[in-house]
Amino acid sequence: NLESGRRTDEWSQCLRSIAKHRDRSAFARFFKQFAPLIKAFALSGSTLSANHADELVQEVMLKVWQKADGFNPDKASASTWVYTIARNCRTDLYRRLQKFDTPLSADDVSLDQDGEEPAVMLHQRRTRDRIRSMMDTLPADQAHILAKVYMEGKSHSEVASELDLPLGTVKSRVRLAIQKLQIQMED
Amino acid sequence: MAKFHPDLQMLTEFTAGTLSLAQSACVSMHLTYCTKCQEISEAQTAMAASLFEDLEPVSVSDSQLDIVMSRLDEDAPLTYPKESKGAQSSTPAILQRLMQGDFSDLTWKKITSSLRISYLTTGDPYYEFALYHIKAGGVIPEHNHRGSEMTLVLEGGFSDSDGTYHAGDFLFREAGDVHSPAALADEDCICLAVLDAPLKFTRMRHRWMNPFLQLKAS
Ligand SMILES: [Zn+2]
Ligand SMILES: [Zn+2]
Repeated sequence: NLESGRRTDEWSQCLRSIAKHRDRSAFARFFKQFAPLIKAFALSGSTLSANHADELVQEVMLKVWQKADGFNPDKASASTWVYTIARNCRTDLYRRLQKFDTPLSADDVSLDQDGEEPAVMLHQRRTRDRIRSMMDTLPADQAHILAKVYMEGKSHSEVASELDLPLGTVKSRVRLAIQKLQIQMED
Repeated sequence: MAKFHPDLQMLTEFTAGTLSLAQSACVSMHLTYCTKCQEISEAQTAMAASLFEDLEPVSVSDSQLDIVMSRLDEDAPLTYPKESKGAQSSTPAILQRLMQGDFSDLTWKKITSSLRISYLTTGDPYYEFALYHIKAGGVIPEHNHRGSEMTLVLEGGFSDSDGTYHAGDFLFREAGDVHSPAALADEDCICLAVLDAPLKFTRMRHRWMNPFLQLKAS
C-alpha cells in the first residue's frame, strides 16, 4: 500500500544521505528505526544472550555505516538490505561462538545480489512488492513456521521436533507458503 | 543451465543462513550456475525481510547508539569483489579463495587409477569438503554413504543409474544410498563433494581403500 511505499522511501533516502554525505544525524535516525528490529532478530532464536544481542546490533549498524555506499534502492528495500546484513552477522556470530576457524564469512557464501541487469532488477522489485503485499494473507500455521525458519534460524528438523510435527509437515507448510506467494518453482 | 538442483528445504535453510558452512558454500556455488535457484532464494529473502520488518521491536538503550557513533570513524574492513575477472572465472569465487590457486596447484591424493581426491579446509568441523578428480571414462567404485553426500559438478560430467550430470548440476545423497558414478568418456570430471561421514566402498576388492577415506572435516 501507499503508506508502506512511503515508509520504504524514507529509509532508502536515509541510507543515501548516510552514503553520500556521511550524515550522522541520518544514521542516528536509521539506528532508532532498525536497531530495535535487529535486537529482536538477535533474540528471536533465544540462543543468544542479551550481551551478544547488543554486540550484534553494534556490528550490524557499523556495517550499515560502512556499506551504505553499496545499497541500491532499485534492487532491495532498505529493510531487506539491513535484514541480509543482520542475518549474515548472526550466522558469523554463531560460528564464532562455536569456535569455527574459517576463511569464509557468511557474506562470502550468501547469494550475491549484485546483478545489474535492468530486467533482473525490475523482476526483483516486482517479486518483492508482491511478496510484501501477500505475506499478511498467509494462514497462521504457515506464517508461524516461516517465522521459526527465517527469524529464529532453526533448521526444519529443529522446528519439527519443537512443534512436535512430522518433518514432512514442516516441509509442506514452507512449500505451500512459497507457492502461495507465487514464487516460480518446479520440482 | 543446471538440470539438477537442491530441494526446497535445502534452499530454504541456505537462504535462512542455517545450513552448515561447508554445505552452504556448495549450495552457493550451485547458485552461480543457476538463475532459477537464485530467483527462489531472492524471493525467500524478500519474504524473510518482510517477517523482519514485522518483528516486535526490542528497545535498545541510547548508550548503544553512543557506542556505535563513537566507532563510525574506524576503518572499514577490506573487502574483495566476489566475482573474479579474467580467463579462469569459470571456477566459482568461493572455490578460488579456498584453493588459493587452480586445480593443478592442489595436492591430490591418488585413490585408484582413475580417482584422485583433494581435501580443502573450510573451517566447518562437521563436514568434509573435497574435490574429486575422475579421469575420463573412469569409475568411482560402488559405495554407500554412511552420512549425506552433496555433489556439485564443476568440470566435465558423470553419470550413475539415475542420470547424467554436467557442470552446475547439484546432487544430494542420503545415508544408505548406494551408487557407482562414472565420468563421461570424453572429458575428465572434477566435482565438489561435501560429506558428513566418509564413504564406504561395498565391493570386497575395494575394501582396502576405506581406511584412506576417514572423514577429513576441518
Ligand atoms: Zn538450481
Ligand atoms: Zn557417492
